[in-house]
Amino acid sequence: MNAATLIAFEFPPINMLLRWQDVVPTVNKVVIISILSSLIGIGIFLAAARKDPKVAPKGARNLAEIIIDFIEKQIIMQTMGPSGLAWTPFLLTIFIFIYLNNMPGVIPLIQMPATARMGIPAFMALMVWVVYNVTGIKHQGPIGYFKSVLFPPGVPKALYILVTPIEIISTFIVRPFSLAVRLFANMLAGHLLLVIFALLSEALFQARDRILIPVGVLPFAVLLFLTGFEVLVAFLQAYIFTTLTAVYINMASHAEH
Amino acid sequence: MEALAAIARIAAEAGDAVVDPAAAKNTAAAASAGYAYGLAAIGPGIGIGIIFGKAIESMARQPEAAGMVRTTMFLGVAFTEALALIGFVAFILLKFA
Amino acid sequence: MLISTIILAAEDMGPNPIAPENKELFWGAGSFLVFLFVMRVFLVPKVRKGMEVRYNAIRGGHESAQAARGAAQRDVAAYEAALAEVRAEATARIDAARQTLDAERQAKVLEANARILAKRAEADGALASARAAARGDVAVAVGSVTASAAALVLGKTADAALVKRAVDNSMSGGRS
Repeated sequence: MNAATLIAFEFPPINMLLRWQDVVPTVNKVVIISILSSLIGIGIFLAAARKDPKVAPKGARNLAEIIIDFIEKQIIMQTMGPSGLAWTPFLLTIFIFIYLNNMPGVIPLIQMPATARMGIPAFMALMVWVVYNVTGIKHQGPIGYFKSVLFPPGVPKALYILVTPIEIISTFIVRPFSLAVRLFANMLAGHLLLVIFALLSEALFQARDRILIPVGVLPFAVLLFLTGFEVLVAFLQAYIFTTLTAVYINMASHAEH
Repeated sequence: MEALAAIARIAAEAGDAVVDPAAAKNTAAAASAGYAYGLAAIGPGIGIGIIFGKAIESMARQPEAAGMVRTTMFLGVAFTEALALIGFVAFILLKFA
Repeated sequence: MLISTIILAAEDMGPNPIAPENKELFWGAGSFLVFLFVMRVFLVPKVRKGMEVRYNAIRGGHESAQAARGAAQRDVAAYEAALAEVRAEATARIDAARQTLDAERQAKVLEANARILAKRAEADGALASARAAARGDVAVAVGSVTASAAALVLGKTADAALVKRAVDNSMSGGRS
């Protein structure tokens, strides 16, 4: 007799946890979340921009200024220095968009991080890839940029046989790939963990054997703990994605490696 | 993978079941999925432990450099963690694809 | 109905869970780009400018407060300098007065001393003359006594000059 017959625990097919029916054609839950997160971000900053800037900020304006300060002081100044402050709107938008797409993973009744589908992370990573390459070409010229990427200075000539292929792979393939996969896999793993513990506690609470019902408290406690953990992860992944974007742009816009 | 597929085929044949090779391969892939993630998590686990330990050490030594250390620490964690996450993706691919 | 579709409806079949789905990719890209455009062009510059305005106002307030504090400190310093000046002048005046007084006292003391000395000299003079007079009288008396005694003893009148010298000798010798 195995656990599945003792309690009604059956893990559903994974696509049932991730794919959603279209509400209107091509618009499903993930799409709605991504559109809403964009609208919420615009809404916060619109409300912030409308308020009188001279009085002490509160409400939406306070929130917007805290986020701007966080991006400028904790991300840009730490990775790019004062010359990177022009990138504030771009990095700010990336941060807010990813964070608002991560958060539904822990909001009750929604419980679906939009970034647990590959679409948004893939697009973001591709866009960051385009942006930092274009920045590098613009700042150093096409020849200078590719030269500084492919033949980093300060390396003995003979080692270029080894270094150049590694640099090509790491700069043009691994960077965007790892950006997308890091965000996507973190959110997907968190989502699956929550699903597993939610299903387990549900199955235990509805067990035929009444002695098993109190045991369901244990996975439920783990579920609560993991939900708190996912709140942290949602923030941390947005932070890491933004920081890495800043680092890549900074690397591309300065000649020294 | 091939070896596991072969094992699964042998096991299936021993059970007198008629199994086509594709299904056997799927079974083997699903069985090896857990190992993929488990093995992929060893190295990054140690690595992240070392990163956090060193970061705490240096923050305790020089609290005024804590902000810089924290940023660099998260960058290091992000790079190290990527390996474990690729293992997780491999797990999903093997298990469900 | 719509809400329950959003919350509950899931499909159990589909492609690889890792493959990006086109509709999600394009909708996500579209909403992100709209968001980025609005933020880049309108909202962030506006909020940023508001922050700058407020920070500048706060900095201006700080600076004016600093200036007011500086002015107040200068006033206090000027007041203290004036106070010190007045105090120094008062001290100088007191010193001058004290010096004048001292000089006057000194002069009076000197004058008194001089007067005392004069009086003492006068008294000494009077004393010396009185003593000299007394001594003359005594010498005369002693001379006469000695002369009469010598006349009695010798039976003849002694030489007055001799007697006088002997008396003077014995008186000065007796004195010394």
